[in-house]
Amino acid sequence: MNYNYKPKELTLCTHCILPETFPGISFDEQGVCKYCRQEEKKIIHLDEKKEEYRKKLDSLIDGTRNKAPVYDVILAYSGGKDSSYTLKLLREKYDLRILAITLDNHFVSPAAFKNIKNVTDHLGVDTYSVRPPWPVISEMFTLTAKADVFSKTTLLRASSVCTACIGIVKNLILKTALEMSVPLVAFGWSPGQAPIQSAIMKTNPGMAQQAQEALLNSFPESIRKKIIPYYVPKTYFEIYRERFPQNIHPLAFFDYDEKNIIKELGQIGWMEPKDTDTNSSNCLMNAFANHCHIERHGFHPYVWEIANMVRQGVMEREEGIHKIYSDQNIQMINFAKERLGI
Amino acid sequence: MSDMKEKIRSFIVENFLFGDAGELKEDTSFLNDGIIDSTGILELVDYIEENFGIKVEDDELVPENLDSIKNLEAYITRKTQSAA
Ligand SMILES: [Zn+2]
Repeated sequence: MNYNYKPKELTLCTHCILPETFPGISFDEQGVCKYCRQEEKKIIHLDEKKEEYRKKLDSLIDGTRNKAPVYDVILAYSGGKDSSYTLKLLREKYDLRILAITLDNHFVSPAAFKNIKNVTDHLGVDTYSVRPPWPVISEMFTLTAKADVFSKTTLLRASSVCTACIGIVKNLILKTALEMSVPLVAFGWSPGQAPIQSAIMKTNPGMAQQAQEALLNSFPESIRKKIIPYYVPKTYFEIYRERFPQNIHPLAFFDYDEKNIIKELGQIGWMEPKDTDTNSSNCLMNAFANHCHIERHGFHPYVWEIANMVRQGVMEREEGIHKIYSDQNIQMINFAKERLGI
Repeated sequence: MSDMKEKIRSFIVENFLFGDAGELKEDTSFLNDGIIDSTGILELVDYIEENFGIKVEDDELVPENLDSIKNLEAYITRKTQSAA
């Protein structure tokens, strides 16, 4: 399989790892991309900003802990290393009452489920998974594997398949938090995945509703009808108006060192799965989702995230290049294709 | 078009539309028309805070303030006037 997608065949930014095929990119005489130049000023102040956010989280949690009826926080828990590490942090450093919810999208690796059991047992955390029936998942993944239904900007940061799946995760978590009156929802986004200003943020009902509708409207009617039960019901935006939770993703502002994370997780029973790919430690759909995105757009759906991490100095450039420009595992691509009958 | 609108517009065209302004009008809804998603809105907020010297509070993150060029201009104008 040849993607024409090797660093040696592509011009990459000499500072981060964005390729010449990335939409809107340009390079200066030093070969540095315009996104690196735009970020320069912010990166200088990043450490101060992170410190500010750590303090902000401390005081948010001081004002929240043990006030809600049952849980302080719901974590979107994939079983991967980032969300496992977030769980560990919330439990051990902040001593929160946590409910960890997993979306079982039928492609969660058996190793990830084992990790979920080990980690939640070790930390003493309640967990459950929600498994939409196969016809729902298979129709949604088949459509998004074959075509892009989302806006161009969304596709800069994630594949269509991932965006569809994460859409369910985010809304399912929000919906459950509203129903159970849980004041915090947490995600294990890496420091490159979302801008730091979103790392602690109150969910605004109006904004959440409009964003949810825009996302749902991207799908054809037949799929929209099937996935709507996992989204926040319209009435909730009114009746639970005062209950909208704070969103937190602490890895954006805590020290992020992949090797250290894996080592620390090893002490609580988490083991690195061998059956996934370079970018996901939990999902067996990921390699195929990446493959489809690269074929259609000429750039890897994780390149924005990893480029951010390289720029911020939380990942070595060589490591980033390895993650993004290695071939997708062909067995895994075929596994997903066969399951979906594509 | 005012300077402020022009600056906002260029930022959006450059960062979210890759130079192709297409159908972007003053009252085009960023979210409904798939121009910017919810993560993109935060990047926009970051840009506004940097360039117009205002602080966008959590409870101001509403579509009425942020979801079109027109709404943004009105919002920033209100904020800068109340600060002055
Ligand atoms: Zn760069």
